[in-house]
Amino acid sequence: MEKAEKRWLVILVAVAVVFNATTLSPLVPWQNWLFWSPPTPVEEFHIRMKNYTFQLPPDGITVQVGEPVRFIVTSEDVTYGFGVFREDGSIVFQMQVLPGYRNSILWVFDEPGDYTIRSTEYSGPYHPHMVLPNAIRVVE
Amino acid sequence: MTYERLTLRYAIISTLFLGLAGIEGLLMRVQLVNIPLFDFEHYYAMLTVHPFVGIYGWAYLGVIGAFYYLVPKLLNKPLYSLKLADVNLWTFVAGVLIVWSSGLLTKFGSLYTLYWPLPVERFPPNSVVFFSSGLLLIELSVLLFIFNIFATVFSRKGESSGKTFKSLLLSAFGLEGLSQRFSMALSKLGVKSSKRMLNGGSGSNPQPMPVFVVAVMRGSVDAVLNALVLAGAGGLLLAFSLPALLAGVMLNPLIVDPLVYKNVFWWGLDMIADGDVLIWVAGALYLLAPLLTNRKLYAEDVVRKVILADLLISMGVWSHHLMSDLPQPSFMRLISGQFITWGEFFTMGLTFFAVLMTVWLARPVKLTMPLKFMLGGIFGFMLGGGSGLLQANYALNLVMHNTQWVPGFHIHQMVLVGLGGVIFAVIYALLPMLTGTELKSQKLSNLHFWLWMIGGVGMAFSMGLAWTPGMLRRTLYPDTTIYLPYMSSAMFFGILLAIGFLAFIINLVHTYGLRTLVGLFIPQRKTKP
Repeated sequence: MEKAEKRWLVILVAVAVVFNATTLSPLVPWQNWLFWSPPTPVEEFHIRMKNYTFQLPPDGITVQVGEPVRFIVTSEDVTYGFGVFREDGSIVFQMQVLPGYRNSILWVFDEPGDYTIRSTEYSGPYHPHMVLPNAIRVVE
Repeated sequence: MTYERLTLRYAIISTLFLGLAGIEGLLMRVQLVNIPLFDFEHYYAMLTVHPFVGIYGWAYLGVIGAFYYLVPKLLNKPLYSLKLADVNLWTFVAGVLIVWSSGLLTKFGSLYTLYWPLPVERFPPNSVVFFSSGLLLIELSVLLFIFNIFATVFSRKGESSGKTFKSLLLSAFGLEGLSQRFSMALSKLGVKSSKRMLNGGSGSNPQPMPVFVVAVMRGSVDAVLNALVLAGAGGLLLAFSLPALLAGVMLNPLIVDPLVYKNVFWWGLDMIADGDVLIWVAGALYLLAPLLTNRKLYAEDVVRKVILADLLISMGVWSHHLMSDLPQPSFMRLISGQFITWGEFFTMGLTFFAVLMTVWLARPVKLTMPLKFMLGGIFGFMLGGGSGLLQANYALNLVMHNTQWVPGFHIHQMVLVGLGGVIFAVIYALLPMLTGTELKSQKLSNLHFWLWMIGGVGMAFSMGLAWTPGMLRRTLYPDTTIYLPYMSSAMFFGILLAIGFLAFIINLVHTYGLRTLVGLFIPQRKTKP
């Protein structure tokens, strides 16, 4: 290996180490509760998906800012996605919803407001209709 | 049939498929600016066939046509079967057209991902059978191509006469060095057969094959695995849809585990994206750089090892497509999904470095069209590869998966700018060899280059930036206006791409004449006066 190539390889290794270490670290807020120290959820919300529809808990979904909650989503037919979006449309998080599996994610909301749920995986031609505006209320 | 005629046929059909994929792309761009050209079923049927037309119709046919010409030429021996290579073209074309027709006529719209059990749960059995037949024919065509190439490389004709199969095998996969080191280690341990292993039993040391051929062979391993897995998916679709179509018997699709299916499917599918593309592109760059600069490839011994590493890495990265499948074990998402994927950062980083150093050390170089496209292609791979590493991340995938980031910054950047750049570089380099004539208009060639690059990068960025206000991929927003600026911009750059492509077509027709191009497909004896 030539000298210039060795130097280039050192640069590549440095970029790889810095990037991977940073994104694994608690500098990414959700890595705190998803990777390093998952807390016990204060509440669990069960959501069922079937034939392009969401079935939410009968009392709706209301969450306190800063409290860990768990979303458990199941599908009875095909693969869907479970995505939560802010009022400006930007994404908070998402996960895939595989049929026959208990798909769950722990989350801690840091801002009050009304959040929209949308299926983030294509589940057939009527997939664009799979949206529930203001389905999650996050309060102080 | 001559090699030149065969390769030109492949190139022309491949270019026509690129045009078809482009028309589909533009029509879908119109729909995305909320001008409803199609109903949802038709839109998603088009979105399903678009990558099949683009990847198999354009990229695969372009690459295969070039390989059928270059591999025999570089090895100085004939192709195993020119006739099979010609048949191979038409089986490929038939497969792609069947898949395309399944979308047009039966609105099969399961997307290329074919996530189980979506195809059999949502679409009528006749459309599933229609689509699966085309998919199986495409994969059979891939296997025919690999057979023809392997039979050529391992044939003992021309310069290979007198060589043993073992010696050819070692040099075809670039394993001579490893074999020699292994034999020396055995020799130190006193194992007598080491001399035979050292030379592959031929009585002389195996001669290294050109690094391009080694890349073709290693990429072919991935192509075979990919074809077998996708053919398996096609077979599974038939196993469920044929009983329903012929006897009205509906099997329970959930007897196939969706997560296991997804793992196997992505393991196989990724052999294209993270195997073939990277290894074959690396091979093409290793061929182009010395050819265009008239200088030996920089650090050739290292790049031989790099493409072997790429082959191994390509077999372990599939979990980066399952980062958001939380039932997938965390260690798989972290190790296979994130860490092994970073292996590509090193292999492609070293590949681009070797190619760019070759160009740099050859200064002053003339910026010919192939060289411009090659450099543009490397630029596209750098942008698209970098964005791929961001989304293949345990933490960041949570906010990027299935958003416009993926098809924008990553897929279209990689395919149009990266892969497109390299394929056009090969076309511009090969055309004078195949026809004896360069394209007539330098102005049109330059227009093609700049509009393709600006259009490709601009469209990819416009799509990718729509991620920030939360726009998803595979999703239409007929009642929302916040994404219109991004989609309008993507459409503008898409039109630039199309104009660039048209400049290339006009230049082709202007140079060779429509009659000559059509005449390539007419049996030769009929064209004689």
